[in-house]
Amino acid sequence: MSCFAVGRAPDHAVTTGRLHAAAWAVWAVAAAVSVELAPNPVYVALVIAVVGLVVSAHRLDSAWARAFPILIGVGVAFGVLRVVLTAATTHGGDPVLFTLPAATLPRLLGGFSVGGAVSLPVVLQAASESFAIVGLMAAFGAFNAVVSHHELVQVVPRAFYEVGLIVTVAVAFVPSTIAAVQRVNEADRARLGGRRAPRRGRLVRRAVPLIESGAEQAIALAESMDSRGFARAEATAGDRAAATGALVALLALAAAFVALVARATAVAAVMAIVGAAALLVAVFVASQASGRPRYRPRPITRRDRTVALVALGAPMLLGVRAFLGDRTLTWSTSPLHLPSVSWLAVLAVALLAVPVVVRDD
Amino acid sequence: MRERAIYVAMVVVGAGAFLYPFWLPARALPERAHGTDAPLLAALIGAMVVAAIVLELRRGAINGATVALLGVLSAMGGLLRLLDLPGGGSGIFFLVVLAGAAFGPRFGMLLGLCAMATSAVITGGVGPWLPFQMLTLGWMGGGAGWLGRLSGRWPWRVEVGALALYGWVAGFAFGAVMNLWFWPFAIGSGPLSWEPGLALTTTFHRYYSFYVASSLAWDAAGALANAVLIVITGRALLVALRRFADRLAPVVQLLEPSIPQEAHVNG
Amino acid sequence: MTEAVSYRDVQFAYPREERLLDGVRLDVHAGEVLLFMGRSGSGKSTVLRCVNGLVPHSTGGSFGGDVVVGGRSTRSYPPRKMADVVGFVHQDPEAQFVVDQVEADVAFALENLGMSPPAMRRRVEEVLDALGIAHLRDRSPASLSGGERQRAAIAGALAAGPSVLVLDEPTSQLDPQGADDVLAAIGRLNADLGTTVLLAEHRLERAAPLADRAVVVDAGAVSAPVPTAEAIAGYEGAPSVTRLGRLLGWHPAPLTVREAQRFGAPTGLERPPPATSPAPGAPLVAVRGASVELGRHRALRAVDVSVAEGEVIAVFGRNGAGKTTLLRAVAGLVSLAAGVVTIAEGRRAAYVPQDPNTLLLGPTVRDDVETTCRLLGQPAAEAADRWLAMVGLTGMASRHPRDLSAGERQRVAIAAVGVGEPDVLLLDEPTRGMDAPSKAALEVLIRGMAGAGRSVMLATHDVELAARVATRVVVLGDGEVVADGPARDVLAGSLFAPQVLRVLPPFLTVEEVAEAIGRA
Repeated sequence: MSCFAVGRAPDHAVTTGRLHAAAWAVWAVAAAVSVELAPNPVYVALVIAVVGLVVSAHRLDSAWARAFPILIGVGVAFGVLRVVLTAATTHGGDPVLFTLPAATLPRLLGGFSVGGAVSLPVVLQAASESFAIVGLMAAFGAFNAVVSHHELVQVVPRAFYEVGLIVTVAVAFVPSTIAAVQRVNEADRARLGGRRAPRRGRLVRRAVPLIESGAEQAIALAESMDSRGFARAEATAGDRAAATGALVALLALAAAFVALVARATAVAAVMAIVGAAALLVAVFVASQASGRPRYRPRPITRRDRTVALVALGAPMLLGVRAFLGDRTLTWSTSPLHLPSVSWLAVLAVALLAVPVVVRDD
Repeated sequence: MRERAIYVAMVVVGAGAFLYPFWLPARALPERAHGTDAPLLAALIGAMVVAAIVLELRRGAINGATVALLGVLSAMGGLLRLLDLPGGGSGIFFLVVLAGAAFGPRFGMLLGLCAMATSAVITGGVGPWLPFQMLTLGWMGGGAGWLGRLSGRWPWRVEVGALALYGWVAGFAFGAVMNLWFWPFAIGSGPLSWEPGLALTTTFHRYYSFYVASSLAWDAAGALANAVLIVITGRALLVALRRFADRLAPVVQLLEPSIPQEAHVNG
Repeated sequence: MTEAVSYRDVQFAYPREERLLDGVRLDVHAGEVLLFMGRSGSGKSTVLRCVNGLVPHSTGGSFGGDVVVGGRSTRSYPPRKMADVVGFVHQDPEAQFVVDQVEADVAFALENLGMSPPAMRRRVEEVLDALGIAHLRDRSPASLSGGERQRAAIAGALAAGPSVLVLDEPTSQLDPQGADDVLAAIGRLNADLGTTVLLAEHRLERAAPLADRAVVVDAGAVSAPVPTAEAIAGYEGAPSVTRLGRLLGWHPAPLTVREAQRFGAPTGLERPPPATSPAPGAPLVAVRGASVELGRHRALRAVDVSVAEGEVIAVFGRNGAGKTTLLRAVAGLVSLAAGVVTIAEGRRAAYVPQDPNTLLLGPTVRDDVETTCRLLGQPAAEAADRWLAMVGLTGMASRHPRDLSAGERQRVAIAAVGVGEPDVLLLDEPTRGMDAPSKAALEVLIRGMAGAGRSVMLATHDVELAARVATRVVVLGDGEVVADGPARDVLAGSLFAPQVLRVLPPFLTVEEVAEAIGRA
């Protein structure tokens, strides 16, 4: 698997003029929210095009760059599934495209009828919704393709340091695990002189040495870590405060759910915001309490800030347009008509191309 | 005390986020909302739950041995996910269940979270489904840890059988829950679709149909495959893993010198 | 003279085990290099781990007495608080990296200590230069050679600026080139920075010149430190020149070839009889024109080798020259791009891999050996006993294989493969991490197999072992056969000359010299 690039470690933090992972995260979220706010297929197509442009300009030379087409593929797969299932089960509307033989499923499987008339508006509606999903996947895929995952793990707030470290260690161990698997696969044949071993117990003969060797290496690594000063013996006051904050956040979210059920939407929104805020504060407190310096931290440059702010402009503009009642943002197929476009919305989407513009700064 | 509260809250909120199709009333979301909004919001809530639970787990000691062992097992788990077992499902479940049973609920929960995160990092697939996958796998590991505490005293056949059963159910639940999350993505309208505000039974009925149509067979086979893996390798792996439990929480006993220190002749 | 490290009546037992250390007293002078010798399983590792508190804080167990380093007592200072005073390096080059980038991994210790980023930056540069690995800073450790990895690990241990460096068999998993690099780096650190070094090693011919004093650890008891030459002179695992010196009565006992050459050859020593290769028995394996491609790399190019009954063939070559590939080709584990490997009718070749851990399942050593019997459908008990005796592990038969040392595990793996009674036994670097008694047992085994009409092919870097057991030597270079002939001829004419040959040509081993003396 070429994913596991053994050789040159992914780009060193400060040497290339690339954007900070946080800036990319903001950009990707902005793109995703824009798709959500403006699911008109024309706008979605525009977003996908802009995103594709950014990816081709900024993609990393690693196997992770494949994430972009792969995640788009996933979106398309969902989309096709959606169109097929919806078209086969929803009836009504005209013009009718064609008619499938109808069947009624047995009670056990749901008891509704499948097949029958497949109508154009239904198909188009499903297709347009699917397209929005593809747009969403494009945003996620782009994020995966332009952000070095090593950087991502490094950028994680200090509050989550241990989890980030565990993932770092795991990634560091992937090549040796793959090599160990290859060795273990051979061991049976080796001991028997090329003959195939009987299948009985083969899995255990593979799994046990792998686990035991891996655990032994983990112990050796642990000794190396301990000897180099790694410690997390007791929680500090800041950590305890952070955990309390986390509990408060969860309780607020639970309250938001309850409020939703009770149809007190405003209360729910407030509680949700309270919960999110409490969590952010908790993360901040925990990060400060950790007091752990970062080696060669990636500074946030003006370019990063510019990209983040401009990208945020896209969903904000679209949100304002939606509030003002811009009808072009959504498209419905009943009555059937061509989607219409407003230039302001197009401009808003175009803001997402900012990483291409600032590339050669 | 707070620890229990937070675990309960985590389960409630996390489950609530998963199960929103069943309780979300109509008109709860803005008028324009359609199928894809809800899953994304749920993913966001899932991410918040993950963050909260990590903050809580940090309160305890995480020593070098814990990090290293979690790292190595996460690497294996992440790679196992690339292995599709016959009938679907992935190989990661049986490792998380067995390691959770061997080392305890906290370890199991962390392993679930980190193995899934590692898998996302090494396959370049950080998507909106990640928080729920992390949570569900974390619960699977944590639950296995609780079970492991009880079953440690049982005869090995009973223990392995119990873990295999747990693995089967948990694997199934994993599939069903992830499918639940995907549901609004997959169907927009019609008798299979989700709409907020329907009666509980109607929603359940619809989800059931969707699940059967899309992935029941897949998940069942995958869960069964994992149970089989646990049955085959369970005993040997549990024994192998438990030998290292000492290093995770070393017990140090400092002996008092029985004779006073003599002055060394050489200074 | 200040004591850098001071062991005061140290007692220790691992959890649920018998007491291992019982009243260890040792003083290590500041700035010296102290060598720890001893068999595998003697407690060397445990003694070393006391210095920075890994024993008892990370291992658990009951600990009595005290170890004082730089004014700090490990009773109250766990390893994380000793990190700026003591650095520790393990023997496994694969298992010491937290991040898969060298520079970031070196900085790990500094992050733990809370240093400010500019200070971290400076220190990392200094340390990378001190170890000579600055050009490797961006690389992933998995892409480095063993020697480079160990140097990066040393850099990581040194980053916090400790005055004491503890290394537990750092070169045992490395090839000779890598071992040289690592030991040279350690010597430089000691000479330039004045770092106190505590070093456990089996490869005494390389490590001895570095050390000021040495101790021998035996079953948890540490001997009093004496100057290195004195300690090695009587030690069982001494280098060949030292044993030669012991035999010929040279004083002071030489540690290196250079020291030995100062002594003249004893007079009247009859030259060894000319090399008569024993009449080769029936051919067992014929490799003709074998080419192997691993990915895009040509591991073997048109290699011709033959193996006959009773032969012991040593295969030499640098890392990557194709030794392992050749053995795997004979064992039928790798497919040939060209050429053919023929094994005589009804005969079998079995391969003992470099990493013995792949064959260890447990729960006992005996089980591992019997597994092969079961897989082959042969009766288990008697054959297992016989082979366990042949590798000298009868006493360990009911222990868990993972409790054994590296050398003992190698022997278990050899027994586990050998019990299938193959006609050709292929050993891939069997002496990695082996102490002297293990090597002696291995020699006996190899001679036994050759005597019984079977043959052994071993890929190795160990010239001394080859000089003692091999009948033929094959040298591979870049996938091709560079030399192939009787052992005496090939060893005499090459870089792979054993120490005795360089001092007293044309003798290859101390045993030959002893024989010649006996005849004189």
